[in-house]
Amino acid sequence: MAGGGNTAWIIEAQSIGRRFGTQNVLADIKLQISEGEIFGLLGPDGAGKTTLMQILAAILDPTEGACRVLGFDTVKQTASITSRIGYMSQGFTLYDRLTVDENLSFAAGVRGIEGSVFQQRRQRLLAMAGLTQFGGRRAGNLSGGMRKKLSLCSNLIHEPPLLLLDELSLGVDPVSRRELWQMLREFRESGATIVVTTPYMDEADYCDRLALLDHGQILALDSPDALRRRGEGTVFELTTNRAKEVLKVLTDRPELSGLQWLGTVLHILLRSATTLPNDIVQALQNLGQLQPVPASLEDVFVQMTAPESAVQAPAFVPSSPSPDSTAELDVVQLKGVTCRFGDFTAVDNVSLNVPAGEVFGFLGPNGAGKTTLIRAMCALLKPASGELRVAGVDVVKEPMRLRSRIGYMSQRFSLYTELTVAENLSFFAGVYGIDGHPRVEAIAWASDMIGLSGMEDRKVQELSAALRQRLALACSVLHRPAVLFLDEPTSGVDPVSRQRFWQLIQSLASTGMAIFVTTHYLEEATYCHRLGLMYEGRLIAAGSIPALRSGLSMKEATRMETIFMAYIDREKKAAPLTEAVS
Amino acid sequence: MNRHRLMAVVAKESREIIRDPITVGVSVLLPLVMLFLFGYAISLDVEDVALGVLDQDKSPASRALSDSFVQSGYFRLISDFKTVDEVEDALQRGRVKMTLVIPPRFHAALVRKESPAVQILVDGTYSATALVAANYAQTIVAGFRQPARPSPIQLETRVWYNAPMRSVNYVVPGLYAVILMAFPPLLTALALVREKESGSIQQIFASPLTPAEFIVGKLIPYGLIAFAQMIMVISLGFFWFQVPFQGNLGFLLATALIFVFCTVGIGLLVSTITRSQLTAMLLALIITLMPSFLFSGFLFPIFTMPYVLQLYTTLFPARYFVELSRGIVLKGGGLEVLWVNVAVLLLYTLVVFWLAAWRFRKKVA
Repeated sequence: MAGGGNTAWIIEAQSIGRRFGTQNVLADIKLQISEGEIFGLLGPDGAGKTTLMQILAAILDPTEGACRVLGFDTVKQTASITSRIGYMSQGFTLYDRLTVDENLSFAAGVRGIEGSVFQQRRQRLLAMAGLTQFGGRRAGNLSGGMRKKLSLCSNLIHEPPLLLLDELSLGVDPVSRRELWQMLREFRESGATIVVTTPYMDEADYCDRLALLDHGQILALDSPDALRRRGEGTVFELTTNRAKEVLKVLTDRPELSGLQWLGTVLHILLRSATTLPNDIVQALQNLGQLQPVPASLEDVFVQMTAPESAVQAPAFVPSSPSPDSTAELDVVQLKGVTCRFGDFTAVDNVSLNVPAGEVFGFLGPNGAGKTTLIRAMCALLKPASGELRVAGVDVVKEPMRLRSRIGYMSQRFSLYTELTVAENLSFFAGVYGIDGHPRVEAIAWASDMIGLSGMEDRKVQELSAALRQRLALACSVLHRPAVLFLDEPTSGVDPVSRQRFWQLIQSLASTGMAIFVTTHYLEEATYCHRLGLMYEGRLIAAGSIPALRSGLSMKEATRMETIFMAYIDREKKAAPLTEAVS
Repeated sequence: MNRHRLMAVVAKESREIIRDPITVGVSVLLPLVMLFLFGYAISLDVEDVALGVLDQDKSPASRALSDSFVQSGYFRLISDFKTVDEVEDALQRGRVKMTLVIPPRFHAALVRKESPAVQILVDGTYSATALVAANYAQTIVAGFRQPARPSPIQLETRVWYNAPMRSVNYVVPGLYAVILMAFPPLLTALALVREKESGSIQQIFASPLTPAEFIVGKLIPYGLIAFAQMIMVISLGFFWFQVPFQGNLGFLLATALIFVFCTVGIGLLVSTITRSQLTAMLLALIITLMPSFLFSGFLFPIFTMPYVLQLYTTLFPARYFVELSRGIVLKGGGLEVLWVNVAVLLLYTLVVFWLAAWRFRKKVA
């Protein structure tokens, strides 16, 4: 090992903490990572993953404790660390105006890799990343997945003993994600150590060990299997048609940590190290089919972060929209919708019908066209061609009439952070022309439904991301829209709040609202009645999860990611895709 | 400083600049726009002053006096007034800037060899122009039908360095400093902040590059662009505006080189303390463009300012280069005269670089 210290650890964090102003972002982090490990930092946005990575990369000093990386102190021996490691920061970190080759040669140049060594490595890396024929293309013209692969290549050019990857797969399509991990596994053969952060629980299985991070603290540190074993015997699924009676049984039980409806299946999560009391087991067995299921990492995470108080059972009954809905009932009808930005086709010939009361999820990587399609449906941008009828209104011809019938919540919750909760609600009610008594009623209805009562006088800037998200939702449903559009509503929110949010969405749907949701968390797919898989602007498949599975005759338990990948593969075979967007 | 790493930064930066049409456009077009705008707009010369005449005598002598105003070339006769009220109205409305009032019996008084009084009414709202115009009037009146009476003292005035007193000769060499103070810092300030905004700066932090290598590597291409701008405006000043060139071109270019590295350095310094392109741009404009107009001596002579403000002007490098540029272009001065300014600029540049490299820490917070 190239280090200067006498320790055997590649990374050794001794109770490090980091404050920004008065905010404690990291506290008492103890980590020991040994040579050759793939180590994962798992947690929601805002958990402190990026801050920890920056401290490990020696580009941020901890305010408490000390950290040794490759045997060097991150504060005192910064240069010794930065000259050795590879660090890929969040987002896209390439120079868009430089070509693939130029980006690589810059990365090599600053690290003194030259001549034949550089040429040899360049060829090998580009081949590994499948970028060989794109050497002369500007980085700005590559697709998201290719950019990530190039970023990874520029960090591998000096064959670092330690690779720090922050949000490796964010915004990357499943195929590229698989390829990125393939590259990492190959690189690992050289004996290098790799630390990755990810908000995707499903990526955790690639790691040897995981640290679950929440609110700046490590909740647990273990191998993925060992973590899952912690939740053994605490997860059940109940298949039932008698939801109301089931909820009566489960209301206010202290043993419960989370409840989630997935269609007609109720996912029951107990507190860790508890068992399902016999009286409940019997009651539930009378109401449906109860069976224990293996715990997922997300289950374990929820158990660890769930609040002390008893979980409230979701106060609604899941409704599945009638499958035989006729065209008149469809509140959204899209026919051949295409949106272009210059030469770039962002949405390509999408046709879709959605009935009232349905939760429809758009899944797909960033750049697949989800947001663009939603904007077209909200008349925020004009489609190049196609017909759109939303809530009975022709979107292109009568955009103004449409506005009062739809609700829209954008990726960044559009709230006024200087105003209080009540002031925000009142403002948005005013925007929709709700005045006087109806306004008071609408606000009371929305804040009651969404659980904002009691915090009317708090300023938005004091609220957590989860609360802001709920307030934004409340603001967008004040006028009881027929169709609600939620663009990535759950990004940046912890798993527990995310589950709560999905319950809200489902209860809103049960009032007859059609709800469109985009997400890049594939595991959230299970909360939707139907899914639309978006890939490179096209809607490559639409249907419920079972329908999607049977469409490719796949097994019962096939994971969402596998299903999505299979559809992408099928799509690629049908029409060879150009990999890059222009 | 490692030469290979430095060259890697220079190469990367140059490619990015060349491929950015906005940067190229800003660095070529804006200096041209500014040069032509100010070269033509800013004129301190007093010509064609709008003149009104209230001739209450209407005699051959009074007509001869008003004719001599028009013939001087400095005045343009706008109107003949009949009454005092008309005069007041025209001055109020700004139709005329000056009125010549010739009293009744002016001719008769001249014939009687008396000294009749004539009145000049000047609009003093533009005090500098008013003063010059009034002086012209004084000279014309003094020379009117004056028999050559030998005076004990003869005044022989020679204007040096700008003999025709063209204000373009004064404005354009000053513009060299203002233009180089305005645009290069803007470009460099944006260059580093753009990397902060895109996040690519983090890759730089987590690399073996030292702050000095990164800063200097960024500076070299921008310094060269600024120097090219300099050559462009100097040639245009000479060939287009026909500003005479008295001094040594090599000396001017050498001092210009120091000055442009100083100004791009200021841009970098700005970018080390700002986080967004917008604040960087505003800050760059406030600390470069504004003072270079007001406190560099470009338009408002420093020696007429109050003492405290004169001290204040020493903070801005444009002040030293305005003096250098005029001193070399108009006065033909060399190092033996202007060495103080060169030394101060050099020192200033070094301090700016040192500050920028010191402020630029390879840490995200």
